[in-house]
Amino acid sequence: MTAVDAVVRPQRSSRRRAGRIGIRDGRFALLYLSPALIVFGVFTIGPALFVLYISLFDWNLLNSSLSTFTGLHNYRALGSSADFWHSIVASVYFVGCVVAGSTVFGLGIALLLSSRGLVRRVVRLAVLTPYFTPLVATSIVWVWIFNPQYGLLDSLLRMLHLPMVGWLQSTTWAMPAVIFYTLWHDLGFTVIIFLAGLATVSTDLREAARVDGARYRHEIRDVVLPQLTQTIVFVIVITTIDSLQAFTQIYTMTQGGPLQATTTTGFLLYQESFVFFHTGFGAAIAVVLFAVIALFTLLQLRVSRSRSQ
Amino acid sequence: MPAGAGAALWRKRSRRFRSGLLALLIGILFAFPFYWVIVTSFSSTNRVYQFPPDFLPGTEAHNYSRAWAGATWVRFFLNTLFIAGATVALVLVTSLLAGFALGVTRFKGRELVLFAVLSILMIPKVVLLIPDYVVLSKLHWLDTYWAQIVPWGASVFGIFLLRQFFNALPQELVEAAELDGASQMQFLRTIAMPLARPALVTIGLYIFIASWNSFLWPFIMTSSPHVQPIEVGLSTFFGTNGTDWTGLSAAVVFTTLPVMIVFMFAQRRLVEGASATTGATKG
Repeated sequence: MTAVDAVVRPQRSSRRRAGRIGIRDGRFALLYLSPALIVFGVFTIGPALFVLYISLFDWNLLNSSLSTFTGLHNYRALGSSADFWHSIVASVYFVGCVVAGSTVFGLGIALLLSSRGLVRRVVRLAVLTPYFTPLVATSIVWVWIFNPQYGLLDSLLRMLHLPMVGWLQSTTWAMPAVIFYTLWHDLGFTVIIFLAGLATVSTDLREAARVDGARYRHEIRDVVLPQLTQTIVFVIVITTIDSLQAFTQIYTMTQGGPLQATTTTGFLLYQESFVFFHTGFGAAIAVVLFAVIALFTLLQLRVSRSRSQ
Repeated sequence: MPAGAGAALWRKRSRRFRSGLLALLIGILFAFPFYWVIVTSFSSTNRVYQFPPDFLPGTEAHNYSRAWAGATWVRFFLNTLFIAGATVALVLVTSLLAGFALGVTRFKGRELVLFAVLSILMIPKVVLLIPDYVVLSKLHWLDTYWAQIVPWGASVFGIFLLRQFFNALPQELVEAAELDGASQMQFLRTIAMPLARPALVTIGLYIFIASWNSFLWPFIMTSSPHVQPIEVGLSTFFGTNGTDWTGLSAAVVFTTLPVMIVFMFAQRRLVEGASATTGATKG
């Protein structure tokens, strides 16, 4: 205890006696927390439980008093729904490619851009920009680029005397086109995360490896990558969670088509609930998505915990 | 060995040059769609449909006036500004109060509340669409501004960032304020808030851009153009003018320009904020 404390103490206790509340006093903490907790409770935590309840009903979205309890019927319907299984396949395709692409290209671009210099600074800005610009607007630009008659990509194919593929109107090429767009839009975020991760990699070790005559790719493989494991896991999990929920670009570019080729499970959820008004069925899809995403989040927590210990 | 060193230097330089060239190509790939939409928006319809395509912008400004007249853009802009502004204000207030409670005050169950707040990140937004639609309809908030503001009025990212800020605040500062007889609200207003400005600005920017860019939520929860934000308006415009590529491109340009400008001015702060999210979820 210092002299200052000794002087301060009596004064403080006299304040307390006068009914003054110290700044660190926790008696009003819940009051301060309540605005945020009310918003979360009513619009996030409550609804997350409510969706479980809805999934047990033949729910009427327009008049919920007309809903009838059907138990696990929606889940059984889900299991035997060809649309649902088709959407799972589409989701695995979409999520798998987006996650792999984000991780590999994100890390590659971050490595390219991690050194100083004007060119790299400008390029970094170019890579980041799509991530902060709206999905609807930029999707429209890409719909135009992918236009099967006058679009830029088909013009290029024509100039090279290659067959035109029709992109968004082709059951084969629509999904790759949407994946390509998604990578273009979202890679900026992954690059930021990898750049932040690279900044923590020990430069001493990298230099030591270089002095020892290690080739660049060995330096990356043996020195940089092992130190980035946690960042890589984080990127994989966060892009999985995000791409499982992708909606806007699919809606704008393909509306889930052609022939459901781009109807992922997240898109099916929207269609079933808000286009066909199969709300209970949609809620069951939501619960399945929720479970999958929760699993991935827990996995990430697990990995980052075990790493930091 | 000077010769060996020279070769090594040369190899290093050439590698740096090659990677710089690759970086440049990647930059062009990422920036090109923005260039292309500007080119299209200034082209005449005939020019757009010609083969091979023309890569230089035309001088046709008419597309802009046609697209501008095609929808109630001013209303969409004002709606977006209002919704984004109100959401930012609400998030800043809720985050500041909650961040203060979790970062400064001492009470039983503090860690538990923090853990509960962080675990909200686990709840995916797409899962909330159906139940929140029901909640909002019970509140009679469907198709209103309320539905677009209040549900987004608290942010885990905001609370976490401010808790970190309060946690790092020197204890002497709190003690000095106590000595001066400041109440909790006085401390928050006159001492903490000015110091927290960088964090508040980052949070504000993120929430602003997110609500400017939001689509799915207002698309589901609203149906009247007089309360809808810009991206929903643009999507409707796309639905009705889907083949007018020059007009559409003009609409894309003028609806995206405001958020682009915000991004250009604030990019460094936004990058720092994104890097901070890594910490937020890494725990």
